[in-house]
Formats: sequence, C-alpha cells, structure tokens
Amino acid sequence: MKNETIKILLRRIFASLLVLFLLITFLFFLLRISPGEPYQKFVSPELSPKLASLVKNSFDLNGPLIDQYKSFVINLCRGNFGISYTYRIPVTEVIARYLPFTIIFSLLSFIIQIASAFLLSLLSVKKINGKLDKTISKAGLVVYALPSFVIGVSLVYIFSGLLNLFPSSGLSSFDSDSFSLVQKLADYSNHMVLPLITLSLGGIAVFYKYLRDNLIDVYNKPFVENLRMHGFSEKEITRKHVIPNAVSPLIAVAGVELGLLFGGALITEVIFALPGMGRLTVNAILSRDYPLVTGCTFVAGLLVIITNLIADLIKAKLDKRLLRGILN
Amino acid sequence: MKNKRILLLFLLLVLAIVPSCRKEVPVNENRVVVAISSDIESTNPAFAFTQNEGNIAGLLYASLVQHKWNFAEGKMDTYPMLAKSWQWSKDSSSVNLKLRDDVKWSDGKPFTSADVVFTFDVYSDPLVQSRFYGTFKNFYADSSQHVNLQKTFTVNSPYDLTINFKKGSIPSFFDIDFPIIPQHIYAGKDRKNLVTIEKEIKPVTDGAFKLASWEKNQAIILKQNKDSFLYNPQGISEIIFKIVPDYNSQLTQLKNGEIDFMQDVKAGDVAALEKNGGLDVSFLKGTQYDFIGWNNIDPELYAKSKKVVPNKLFGDPKVRTALSYAVNRKEILQEFLNNYGQLAAGPIAPIFKSIIDTSLEPIPYDPDKAKQLLASAGWKDEDNSGVLKKNGIKFSFTLNYPSGNPLREFAANVIQNNLKAVGISAKLEPVEPEVFFQKMFARELNAWISGWSVQIPVDMKVLWHSNLDKGPFNVVSFQNKSVDMILDKIEKERSENQKAALYKELQDIIYKEQPVTFLYWIDNIIAFNNRIQNVTITPLGPLDRCWEWSIKK
Repeated sequence: MKNETIKILLRRIFASLLVLFLLITFLFFLLRISPGEPYQKFVSPELSPKLASLVKNSFDLNGPLIDQYKSFVINLCRGNFGISYTYRIPVTEVIARYLPFTIIFSLLSFIIQIASAFLLSLLSVKKINGKLDKTISKAGLVVYALPSFVIGVSLVYIFSGLLNLFPSSGLSSFDSDSFSLVQKLADYSNHMVLPLITLSLGGIAVFYKYLRDNLIDVYNKPFVENLRMHGFSEKEITRKHVIPNAVSPLIAVAGVELGLLFGGALITEVIFALPGMGRLTVNAILSRDYPLVTGCTFVAGLLVIITNLIADLIKAKLDKRLLRGILN
Repeated sequence: MKNKRILLLFLLLVLAIVPSCRKEVPVNENRVVVAISSDIESTNPAFAFTQNEGNIAGLLYASLVQHKWNFAEGKMDTYPMLAKSWQWSKDSSSVNLKLRDDVKWSDGKPFTSADVVFTFDVYSDPLVQSRFYGTFKNFYADSSQHVNLQKTFTVNSPYDLTINFKKGSIPSFFDIDFPIIPQHIYAGKDRKNLVTIEKEIKPVTDGAFKLASWEKNQAIILKQNKDSFLYNPQGISEIIFKIVPDYNSQLTQLKNGEIDFMQDVKAGDVAALEKNGGLDVSFLKGTQYDFIGWNNIDPELYAKSKKVVPNKLFGDPKVRTALSYAVNRKEILQEFLNNYGQLAAGPIAPIFKSIIDTSLEPIPYDPDKAKQLLASAGWKDEDNSGVLKKNGIKFSFTLNYPSGNPLREFAANVIQNNLKAVGISAKLEPVEPEVFFQKMFARELNAWISGWSVQIPVDMKVLWHSNLDKGPFNVVSFQNKSVDMILDKIEKERSENQKAALYKELQDIIYKEQPVTFLYWIDNIIAFNNRIQNVTITPLGPLDRCWEWSIKK
C-alpha cells in the first residue's frame, strides 16, 4: 500500500511539472507574438536607425524564435530564468525579494479567512435561520459583492483618514530601522491591519458560505439523527462527526484559494503600496520584461500546484478511500 | 476551557497591535515626504529613464552647470555648479572650464576633471545604453556616437578642462549639463553591466543630498549632504520619496500629513484641497499639451515602401483646418479639466515668452466654418447618409488613444460627437499604451489623441522636420519645405532676436497648415503642505532646486 501511494504521488508530481512546463511554453510564445517590445524604453526616438538597432540587438531577441525557445528551455532546466530587463539582475534574485512578503502576507490572510469563517459558520448553525445566522449571511453577501478596492479605499478613509488609527500605506515606518525588535513587530502589525482586512474579507465570506451550507447539509444527514437517538451529546456529534464531514469539501477550495493568494493580491498591494508578487508581475507585463514575466508565472503556477497537492493529501488523509481518485 | 484559551490568545494579539495603532508621526520635523507612484530602478543618472529617476539622480549628483528658470523672460539662465567659471572661445567651438577644487565625493575622494572626461565616455558608450546615449551630436565621436575623448577634452589640470566641439556645430551649455559620476567607482567595471554595480555598493555621490536608504517599493530616503557646496543650513534635512501607487491613497495621505508633496492632482480635487488650511496648491502651467494627430501621409504605403504620399483623408491642409474648427476643445477643457489649462494655438509653450507668437489665437469651435471648408475641399454628403464622401471615399476613420487615460477617453468621445455633426465618422479604439506609442512612432496610426511634454530648451526640428530621420517626433509626417528651411536656419542662428523672428515665422506656417489639431495646455497641479517654504514651481520641474526649501518653524 505504501509503495503504491509513493508511486501515485510521484506520478501526480510528474504530471504537475508537465502542466507547469506546458504553461511556461505557452507563455513564452504568447509573449513573443504579443505587441510591444521590451527595448522600447531604451530606444529613444531620437536615436538614428543604426544606433537604435545597436540597442535592439543587445536584447538577443533577433534570432529565430525556435532557437530562442531552445536556449530558454536549456536555461530553465538549469534553474536560470535569465536577467530581468528592468532590474538588470537575475530574475530569481528579483523574485526572492518579493516572494517572502507575499507568502507571509497570504498565509496570514488565509489563516484569518479560515479561522473567521469557521467561527462564524459555527455561530450561524447554532440556530439555523435565527437572527444571528440571517445577519451574518446577509453581511457575508454584501462583503462578497463589494470589490476589494472599494473595501480598501473605504478602510483607509475611515481608519486612516477620519480616525487616524492606522497608517494608510507601506510596510513599515520610515524610522523603523531605529526601533527595537518589539517596536518593529508592533510597527509591522500596525501597517498590516488594514491590508489584511481588505484581502481577507472576501475570502471569509466565501469560506463562510461553503462551511455553513456544508454544516447544515451534514446536520440533516440521517446518521446524525441516528447518533442523537443513540444518546450522543450535541457537542460530541458536532466535533467528531459533523465538522470532519463538512470540512472535507472545503479543503479543495482552500487549496486553490491559497495558491491564488500566493500569486499576488494586486488590488490590495496597489492600494497599500505593498511589495508583493502581484505588482511585480503586472509591472513586468506592462514593461514587456519577458524573463521576469516567465519567472513570476512559473512561481505562481508552482505554488498553485503545490497547494493543490497538499490540499489533496489532506483530503486523502481524512478519507483514505479518496487516495487513488484524488492523486490520479 | 478551550474556547477561553482561544479568546485569551485573541485578546493578547489585539493588545499587541492596539498600542501601536497610530499613523506615522515624523520623528524628524525637518523632513519632507514626496509621493511618487512607482519605484525607481536606479539612482545612477546614466539610467535615469523616468522623471522620478531624473529628479533623484539630480539631487544626488551635481552637474557642471545648473540652470534656473527666468520667469521674466521665459527662458533658462545658466549658473555655475561644478564648474565655477567658464570661457567660450570666440567661435564657440570650445569652452574652457575652471572646476571647483573643494568638491569631495561621499567617500572622501576629490572630484577632478578626470571624472568629467570619464562621465562623457560612459554616457556615450553604446555598451552602457545610458539615458543620454545618442545626444552627443555636437561632439567628436565615432560612428556609434561614442565620444572621442582625445579630440574632445584637453585636461589642463585636475581643475582646468577644455571641451572642444565638433567643427561646424553650434554647442551650448545644454551640451555639457549632465550629472557627473565618479571615475574611481566605475572605472574598470564591465560597461555592459554598469547598472548592476550600484546594487552591490552604496552610491558615491557629490550632490545636495546623499542616499540614506532605499527600501524597494517602499521609500527612497535622501539626507542632506553637509559636505556639499550646495549645503543650505536652513534647508530641509531629509527628503523621502514615498511610493504610493494609488491616487486616492496619495490624496488621503496628503490630507493626513503622512505625505507633504503630491503632483498630478486631478482637477476635480483642487477645490477640496484649497479649502484645507494646511495645504497650498500650485499650478505648473504650459509644460504639456494634448493634440489630435492626423497622419499627413498614407500610413500603409509608408509602412510598405517608406514612400511619402499624402493621406487620402488628412493630406489636405484645408481639411485639417476644418477638423480643428469642428472640435469643441473648450468643452473638454471646461468639463474635464475644470479650466486648469488653456487652449493651444501652436506647439510653442506659453512659458517661452520671447519666442511665442501671441498674435495667434486658438482656432475657435465653429462647425459651420468646418463644413464650409470641407465642402470647398470636395467633401460632400452625396447620398444623404450623414457621412461626407469624395471620389467615392467615405470620410470615416479610426481614432486611437492610449487606454487607461480618462482625459483622452473623455476627449475622444467629445471629438467623435463633434465630427459626426460635420459629417465625419470616427470609430474610437483605445490601445494599450506601450503598443500605442510603438505604433505612433512607427507612423502606423491614422488618427489619434496624444500629447507632448515641452522640451527645454525648445527643439522644434525633431517635431516638424520633413526628413523623418531628422524629425523622429514628427509622428504625423508633416511635410513642408519652408518649415525645413526655417528649422535649419534656427539651428545655425546665434542671435536670439533672429531666432525669435524665425520661430514666429514657423508658428505662422504651422497655424495655417494645422498638421495636428492642438487641443490644450494642461496644468500639472501640485499640492503641498504649507509648512514647506521657499517652494518655487518652475517649468524645470516641481522639485527643481528643492535644497532651497525650508520648514516653517
């Protein structure tokens, strides 16, 4: 059984990598055929055609596309995404500057989303269609319908503009270098409150809706009634039987959501001027920084695959019957 | 029990955050925070491709000379900077510079003439791909425009240097107004990777400010350089460029006092900012204008064979003039820009008082006159379809504009309606900005809305010369022999009065020919905290000479 699991797992990893490779290949050709040139910024219209071609040639984009692709694949196999046209340093170094923040920020938001949704849905199902349930459900719908830029700008206006409670942008204070470790941590958390709320509210609403519906669904199953008849306490039924059954379908959604969060939260990053992968990727696309776009997409794709795999493994752990189906 | 533990943990977390719940209060009251919408890539002037990079590099590195805006005469005056005095040769073919001997780089090494020679070498080197590459037209250089150092520079001493210009050229101070970089830092480094060097070391500078820290995508902090000859004891001690990409966040932070200085304020926000007692609002006028580009030549034929053949729709000056009469520019200026700008009559900015022809009035909105002109040019609504025709060709075209630009989108809709009223059908098509500008410079577009920032000093040749190699910014491919002659004369003319007369002649022809429809000069609206004093907004930029700013005590 153990060997078979490893085999299935390896097959799944190989398939995922193949998908990732196809994604990058597709992106490579898509970028080359899309309009706009990466050297545009460096070629002033005032340059003579001869001087302009001198600059263009330095970008090594003149050779046949297939040759460019071959060297791209060889470099990719060596873990080399090339040099960013904008930053003029290796793409891996650029991504290394932005990825840690995105991972921490996304994880924190993800934990907040799951924990809040879990608490709220449990409160809701205590009395289905009661006052609290109705209020939370309606509030969730409103939050879900609100675009995140509206939430972000409103939070800045209220908590920063009117109440002066939180800074409206940035990751830390200008003078944070002179702060003690505790002050630094407080400073970071102070800066992170509004962005985390902005990024998390939508996710809380989604997870809440899923969990609430799943919990109600499981509560209505005949086996729960059966357990009640056998004298199990309501607390025991909820903890041991209802929650595990209700959580299982949510795991797959959570895996996808976390993967997407890792790809960057563009709107939140722009409103709060945060150094995340979303802004990095969009700026790279706008400036036609081909190597950086490829690198960012690879990392985002890889993270989506990893989080999905982890989610599936958790699901399989909860229900061993699912193992073969999920991993295949 | 477990629930209580979770609640306790949550309370502890809140307690950790709440004491720090306050907006950022400046520790240093003598600091100014300037909002910028995107981070810079380099502090090195060689790679200062964007306006922000240029501003920051200009504060970190001193130039040989400095320019100040002369408001009375509407021109720039030259003042000493690293060069304390100069002497032009009688025929202006060379200039002898006496350099300051008291300037030190931030690492303590002295600044000398070797740094000047090295800077020109680096900036003109094709391997470096500097911002200034291709601008050394008045210098002795090889075929790749790399400056010939032996022929160009005569180093008389570490503080005495002569620059010899190419025979027959008409050089000026603008040919030597570049920030100087330290030779001892960059010499011997791989020129192709020069831009990466500063990522490994702290920049060594000699300007009014020095780099204190640069946190990517957060802030660039500059501190006053007390060893600089530009040091102003009463000046601001710190200038922070804070990266705030979102416009609304910038506005909130300005009102809150989190930032002190903001550019490109939207016209609709001015009234609220002016009511705020803590803020001053200033207007940088006449430095940028929008226009409708009518491709004067056939773009398809030009793309295929580089042949210059008049455009079937816009090749006739009478038609272009009619189009200018047809567009209600005043409506756009009033409705979208709240009148923060002025109607444009030609390409010379109103700030250039000595050369602008003030007798030329902007073409008024007159649809009847437009119809009359179109009819006299042979464009008639033969089949009562509402669209004019000539020789079986309908007056119908696509009007492009860069996407994501609300002003140009608004203008495009007004223009479309205005043109429809005179029997012209314009289909609107926004294009992604990078692609838009690439197509515009390749002269592939037929009609479009765009704009130019004013070049200081004025250079009309690049905008209007019929030889498209000499006029790279002549994106409408305007063809006029008289204009070419005037432009060639201006380039060789030394007398300022004669130049002014030639510029007026040029404006007169452009006004009659209407190669483009000049729309309006747009004010750059700047708002800043009124604790900052001595702020003079000049056409050289809102941050020009900001080392002279001080803080109200």
